[in-house]
Amino acid sequence: MKNRASVVVIGGGVVGNSIAYNLAKRGVEDVVLVERSFLASGATGRCGAGVRQQWGTRQNCLLARESMKVFENFKDTLNVNVDIELKQKGYLLLAYSNNELEQFKKNIKVQNSLGIPSKLVTPQEAKYIVPDLNTDKLIGGAFCPTDGHANPFKVTYGYSKAAENLGVEINKFTEVNEIKTEKGKIIGVQTNKGFIETSKVVDAAGGWSQQIAKMVNAELPVYSERHEILVTEPIKPVLDPMLMSFSYNIYCQQTPDGSFIMGYGPDNEPPSFDMHSSWQFLETMSKKAVWLLPPLNKLRIIRQWAGLYNMSPDKQPIVSKIKEVENFYVACGFSGHGFMIAPAIGVLMADIITESDLTYNVVLDIERYKRGEIISEPSVV
Amino acid sequence: MNNIEKAELIVVGGGPAGLSAALAAADYGVNVILVEEREFLGGQLVKQTHRFFGSEKEYAGTRGIDISKFLVEKIKENENIKILTSSRVLGIYNDKIVTILANNKMIKYSPKALILATGASEKFLAFENNDLPGVFGAGAVQTLMNLYGVLPSKKILMVGSGNIGLIVSYQLLQAGVKVACIIEAAPRIGGYSVHASKLARMGVPILTSHTIKKAVGKDKVEGAIICQLDSSWREIKDTEQFIKCDAICLSVGLSPLTDLLKQANVKTSYVPELGGYIPLRDENMETSIKNLFVAGDVSGIEEATSAIIEGQIAGLNVAKRIKKDIDNQVKIEKKIAEAKDELELLRAGPVGEKVRNGLKKIGLDPLKNYGEKVSTEEFDISFLMKTGIPSKENLKKKLPLSEDVFNKGPIAISECFQQFPCDPCVKSCPFDAISENGSINNIPYVNFEKCTGCGICVSKCPGLAMFVVQKNYTDSTSLVTLPYEFLPKPVKNQIVLVLNREGTEICEGTVKRVRDGKIQDKTTVVTIEIPKEYFLEARNIKVDGGQKHG
Ligand SMILES: Cc1cc2nc3c(=O)[nH]c(=O)nc-3n(C[C@H](O)[C@H](O)[C@H](O)COP(=O)(O)OP(=O)(O)OC[C@H]3O[C@@H](n4cnc5c(N)ncnc54)[C@H](O)[C@@H]3O)c2cc1C
Ligand SMILES: Cc1cc2nc3c(=O)[nH]c(=O)nc-3n(C[C@H](O)[C@H](O)[C@H](O)COP(=O)(O)OP(=O)(O)OC[C@H]3O[C@@H](n4cnc5c(N)ncnc54)[C@H](O)[C@@H]3O)c2cc1C
Ligand code: SF4
Ligand code: SF4
Repeated sequence: MKNRASVVVIGGGVVGNSIAYNLAKRGVEDVVLVERSFLASGATGRCGAGVRQQWGTRQNCLLARESMKVFENFKDTLNVNVDIELKQKGYLLLAYSNNELEQFKKNIKVQNSLGIPSKLVTPQEAKYIVPDLNTDKLIGGAFCPTDGHANPFKVTYGYSKAAENLGVEINKFTEVNEIKTEKGKIIGVQTNKGFIETSKVVDAAGGWSQQIAKMVNAELPVYSERHEILVTEPIKPVLDPMLMSFSYNIYCQQTPDGSFIMGYGPDNEPPSFDMHSSWQFLETMSKKAVWLLPPLNKLRIIRQWAGLYNMSPDKQPIVSKIKEVENFYVACGFSGHGFMIAPAIGVLMADIITESDLTYNVVLDIERYKRGEIISEPSVV
Repeated sequence: MNNIEKAELIVVGGGPAGLSAALAAADYGVNVILVEEREFLGGQLVKQTHRFFGSEKEYAGTRGIDISKFLVEKIKENENIKILTSSRVLGIYNDKIVTILANNKMIKYSPKALILATGASEKFLAFENNDLPGVFGAGAVQTLMNLYGVLPSKKILMVGSGNIGLIVSYQLLQAGVKVACIIEAAPRIGGYSVHASKLARMGVPILTSHTIKKAVGKDKVEGAIICQLDSSWREIKDTEQFIKCDAICLSVGLSPLTDLLKQANVKTSYVPELGGYIPLRDENMETSIKNLFVAGDVSGIEEATSAIIEGQIAGLNVAKRIKKDIDNQVKIEKKIAEAKDELELLRAGPVGEKVRNGLKKIGLDPLKNYGEKVSTEEFDISFLMKTGIPSKENLKKKLPLSEDVFNKGPIAISECFQQFPCDPCVKSCPFDAISENGSINNIPYVNFEKCTGCGICVSKCPGLAMFVVQKNYTDSTSLVTLPYEFLPKPVKNQIVLVLNREGTEICEGTVKRVRDGKIQDKTTVVTIEIPKEYFLEARNIKVDGGQKHG
């Protein structure tokens, strides 16, 4: 391991790797990434793998659209031979109330203005897209054919390979225990494998980002929350798009290998770092899933697990420097959709660190909460 | 959502450990739910047609399947035990709820205590073409043959010479499958010498310091290429050898089935001596999680005997915690102490060293009462452990000191030279003529003064290591009485071929007596008349149309 770095990126999830790659691509040398376990061991490797552009805020739509461009041309953009298993069979969002449908209409307007090809669908059209769908109580939906999902392990691996090709050092099983400062300036990072002298640190520690920030006495306005998920045995392809309902709080997709991945947003889940599974999830999830797609009742569940959402006050990410400590940067608060926008986040963070103009017209700095410039994202599970 | 049933104790796994755990706790009135994923109870035992080693107290000398039947009957009689077969425990959650898949439904229990006795899974080996049809695990071969009566192949190569490799090879021969050879990467046979000797007597070569390089065949196994290894386990050049066979059986060890324990967040540690990741636990079999106990192979690969005792210890400790009346406490305490002593004794000999080293690694003291005065091998058995054939020096030590003793009449010869925990010979002799000098780990000796040559011990010894010889049957012939476990059985006055300890044919013999009654329990005791010069050589027979040889 190098004992000196220009920038130390903490966290080997999709975000950390995307940042490391984008820094190296801008010509920043001696970038070192540290991950306490294996790559994608955090939320990234545990996520639902959905990539959608149907968001409610212009910013999220923009970030998702720009990221989708990268997913679509992954090999060429990153110059790595990694197949990320992108399946673009759309996202079908389901509406069960007029309020929901109205919100979809508003969202679609924003989306269409950015060139995202989403549209409103009737229950009949929804049934046509997903023949197994239970359309009981369904009043409509929104569909974007270019949404879909990709393999988060492969995406992370692709970014890390591309970063390594450009000279980034990736250290797995290396945990940051302390960030050393002198007179408010960072002087280095203490890991369990040794000390790395550096003046710049990027906190991309996902659900643990607030803990890393505490190492420099910074308080981040985020908290972590357990979200559970499961995977079934594989069967022949029957479900094209990712299905999602905000009122029933669930999502469900069929991966290219045929297994279904599904999860739901829990009620009253307290903030915690707990990543244990619960039997309650199995019961509730299977009921919800079978109600939505009745033929699933024959499927066997293979595995269940959980990961952390890192929640921000407006459910939009924080990609920012921190006032309290010079050269300490954070990319956190992804509120359950950090995978699909990770390509754009890497670009933004590289802009910030190299003090360039922001590539995208977005406001994601941490000071926005004090300024009161918040537009909350309405469409999350 | 809240249909959670309460329970006192849930035992997961219906092998010897789980069965004995359930019984031990239920005997003190604990309500037990015994959960087994297969449709029947018994675990590994149901496919073990051979007689078990170990202590007579834990049913040594009895066949595995019969031990299983006996325990299962006791379980079924016990009103405190509810049996759930075809039921798999799916998870043990943070709130201590146990989920079980039974009849395609997930049911939930909230137990006061849990004993996990989930056993082990087989290890696999990496070599070229190891995915060809015809490459089996030893467990699969055993299940096919002994449970479902299906022959896995016609001629097999056995990889691994631990007890399982040796026993399964023997069972293959019994089923009529040829065993091309047994190869072992280590310079020494891994299992007990008596098992190896049985195979040597049948002419099956055991090649130590050999490994498999690749399986050969187009759509299925048609042979294998093996090679020799040097002392640092590197391939020796130009030692490749083609072995013709239509199946390859891998018997390269077991690893504890700890998935459920890991899911329950029990602390584990990697201890190769005990098979891989094992749960940390105390001497009462309790893990890092209170009221969660383990027993048997899941707590470290050992044997059925230790699994049974560990099950008892775990079951008794649960009883002690749940049934709080003073009277029981004293009784239970005493039983626990006894069981611990027995376990310690079982592990005290030279073959227990690996297990002891493993246990020390997780902070247990496996020889509390013995200090360090553990016996080292009494004999130099290096040749025996390379070939399965006892050396002349080994034999000399077990024969009478004076030739005159043979003149007295029939006497038993015990061809058992290794120290391991086993005592059916001692326990079966009605004349008290065999002794192990007070320790189950010692080598048994026959007291030729006391021995009447009755031959009872011949069928009781699980190692088939007891023989009776009568040197002066006539002026020119002797009688040799030996155990025989193949079909067809010989009949009186039949002429059979006689083999020595290396499986070489040495002469013909005439069958004088065949004992095949209830006490023999399928280990036929055959007495043959042979030329006198061979009375110390003749140790096996070949019956026409009977056993197939290597
Ligand atoms: C159940 C679930 C479903 C989801 N579904 C989706 C979805 O469909 N689409 C989508 O876009 N997003 C989804 N998300 C959200 C998405 O997974 C995350 O937003 C995204 O993965 C965040 O990436 P990250 O790199 O910031 O964090 P992580 O992947 O969590 O990476 C942070 C890394 O930091 C490491 N780390 C922590 N502390 C230290 C330390 N002290 N030293 C060194 N390393 C440290 C961790 O080990 C971890 O690997 C889902 C999340 C969950 C939990
Ligand atoms: C060929 C061979 C020969 C042997 N010879 C001897 C010998 O001579 N003497 C001797 O002492 N020992 C011998 N052994 C070893 C002995 O068989 C094992 O040590 C013993 O069976 C271990 O007992 P156990 O109860 O721990 O596990 P097992 O017998 O393996 O039983 C575990 C049970 O748990 C069940 N189970 C697992 N997971 C779950 C779940 N999630 N839910 C419900 N049920 C579950 C399994 O189906 C299984 O029935 C031999 C073993 C083999 C393979
Ligand atoms: S032959 Fe009979 S008397 Fe002699 S040791 Fe065996 S059982 Fe005992
Ligand atoms: S001779 Fe005795 S100790 Fe040796 S294998 Fe036979 S029964 Fe066991």
